[in-house]
Amino acid sequence: MSLAEFFRSTIFRWALAVSGAVALSILLMFAFIYWQSARYMTMRIDEELTREATTIAQDAPEERSEAIEDRLKHDPRRVRFIGEFSPGGARLKGNIESLPPHIDAAGPPASARVVRLDGTEREKQRVRVIARALASGNVLVLGRNIDEIGEMVEILGRTLVLGAFPAVLLALVVGFVLSARAERRIGEVSRTAVRIVAGQLRERLPVRNAGDSFDKLAIIVNGMLDDIETLLHEIAGVGDDIAHDLRTPLTRVRAILERGRENARTLEELQSVTDRAVGGLDQSLAIITALLRITEIEHGHRRAEFGIVELPEIVQEVAEFYAPIAEDRHVQLTTDTGTSAAVRGDRDLLFEAIANLVDNAIKFTPEAGRVDVTIAPRGQATIVRIADTGPGIGEAEREVVTKRFYRSDKSRHTQGVGLGLSLVAAILKLHGFEWTIGGSPGCVVEIACLKL
Amino acid sequence: MIVARAALLDVQCAAEAGSEGGLARVLLIEDDDETAGEIVADLQDRGFEVERAADGKTGLEKGRLPEIDLMIVDRLLPGIDGLTIIETLRRESIRTPALVLSALGAVDDRVRGLHAGGDDYLVKPFILVELAARIEALLRRPAHTRETALQVGSLELDLIERTARRGGRVVELLPREFSLLAYLMRHADQMVTRAMLFEEVWKYRFIPDSNLVDVHIGRLRRKVDAPGEAPMIESVRGAGFVLHVPR
Repeated sequence: MSLAEFFRSTIFRWALAVSGAVALSILLMFAFIYWQSARYMTMRIDEELTREATTIAQDAPEERSEAIEDRLKHDPRRVRFIGEFSPGGARLKGNIESLPPHIDAAGPPASARVVRLDGTEREKQRVRVIARALASGNVLVLGRNIDEIGEMVEILGRTLVLGAFPAVLLALVVGFVLSARAERRIGEVSRTAVRIVAGQLRERLPVRNAGDSFDKLAIIVNGMLDDIETLLHEIAGVGDDIAHDLRTPLTRVRAILERGRENARTLEELQSVTDRAVGGLDQSLAIITALLRITEIEHGHRRAEFGIVELPEIVQEVAEFYAPIAEDRHVQLTTDTGTSAAVRGDRDLLFEAIANLVDNAIKFTPEAGRVDVTIAPRGQATIVRIADTGPGIGEAEREVVTKRFYRSDKSRHTQGVGLGLSLVAAILKLHGFEWTIGGSPGCVVEIACLKL
Repeated sequence: MIVARAALLDVQCAAEAGSEGGLARVLLIEDDDETAGEIVADLQDRGFEVERAADGKTGLEKGRLPEIDLMIVDRLLPGIDGLTIIETLRRESIRTPALVLSALGAVDDRVRGLHAGGDDYLVKPFILVELAARIEALLRRPAHTRETALQVGSLELDLIERTARRGGRVVELLPREFSLLAYLMRHADQMVTRAMLFEEVWKYRFIPDSNLVDVHIGRLRRKVDAPGEAPMIESVRGAGFVLHVPR
């Protein structure tokens, strides 16, 4: 960093601002102390002057002369002033050369400059003075030097310089250090961010375990980056899966059409070829539609259609819908739902989710097996349980089975587009319902629906 | 005036049932030329007269024409939005049936579409047969009369007793089979798709496996068309089902 850059930098400006603020506050503090002390000292002097002047003015003339003399003698620091003046203003006694102008003989003490006489010496001094009229018509003047206040200012000034200089310096240093630290962390973060944007998705913001705001922010951002990385990988994986799952039926359609074109001799033959091709295309379309539906649900805007849904009603209707196919496959499909278990959700989507699970259960259950759907309360949740006597899902597969396009190898040969469980996962996530896959033997899927 | 026209339309459509070259006029409001081209060609093949508007403003103007029997309205249009067109027409007391088309992903559209006064809703991408079947159903939607019985040929349905007979034979039906048959009879001679049946009979929207509807129809068919009787329920390959008077 060049010097010019440094002076323009945020660090420098912050440090400067901080030390400026410190200097200003010290200055203000000293000004206040000075103002308060000066006021207090002046007040004390004024009180003493007033008291003395009143006492001396009331004395008899001889006592007064004594008091004046006494005062003139006992003044080692040469700060006391006293004098008696004729009504015309001529000095009669004391060490004040002349009657201070504009002095009120009955008013409170005032500031003035008077000339002090000591033998032959003359010295002008700043004083607080008070005047009192005497019975004789003369004027008594008492004063006191206030250089002390000026001295105090000097002492305070020195203290200010001695105290403020290191304080400001300290502020400057602390300011530099703190803002440099902040700048360094921001620098780290922005450099990391630049690398991430450039495609290095593995990068994470540094965390120092200091528990400060930077760490908290870094942890949140890192969590976000984890999600983004997972999503990107999923998308990449899904891209492959889509390609794979679409390629299979499309390749078949192509083969069917090609063979049909070569071999079909009659209209009927050609029609049968076309029908098979249409079937293959429908399958591809079904994959695309299912995929789009998952995306739609995952975007989570559907909550607008949430309402109160009776789970037993849905389960009964799913069971009724699947009864014929279960019968055809000689699978016993039973339900035990109770009468009422209301949850908040989307009726169509919950039907779809439960139907998909029942669909899977029936497809994978061999002849003479059974599929039982039950609803039962458990704690704060209502559990919808779909249990079958099929081959079940291996421990290792239970996690991945809910991912998009995943299809257990055992099921690759079974009809279906392999998106059923992904749809279920998306729907249940939208509802905030947890679900688990378990069971051995067989497969048990449990959905924990939040009670209303 | 409008009521009279609607009644006339029902008569017309009933008269044209199954005939080629029907006179029903469909207004298609769709901005995408390619999609519009396909829909127009398909509907013309099916004997509809199709008028197309490529933007919201023209669509709204043409939607006011009395000779239009049905509108197909895309949700997103340049100029005026599809739902706004329907809302505006409904405020003007124009009740021409409207089918809303929308891209998948625009999620709450169905509800909004129906709220705006749309009569049916179809999500893109769809197959053209589905669109045609739904248009037919909308054009021949039965008047809202309180019917107590349905009859197609010798097949009779008593909607109050919930019993079915074919000729003199009593057909024993499960409740769902009864609803299924009632829907097919209300749309006699019309092709209905699996999705339409699932939506109208089961009242759910997303069909997990459309083959299941075939299974249900298969069971119903075995009860309605007993061995030796001429079949009334027929499958339309790759599309849906039709119930008609035995030929």
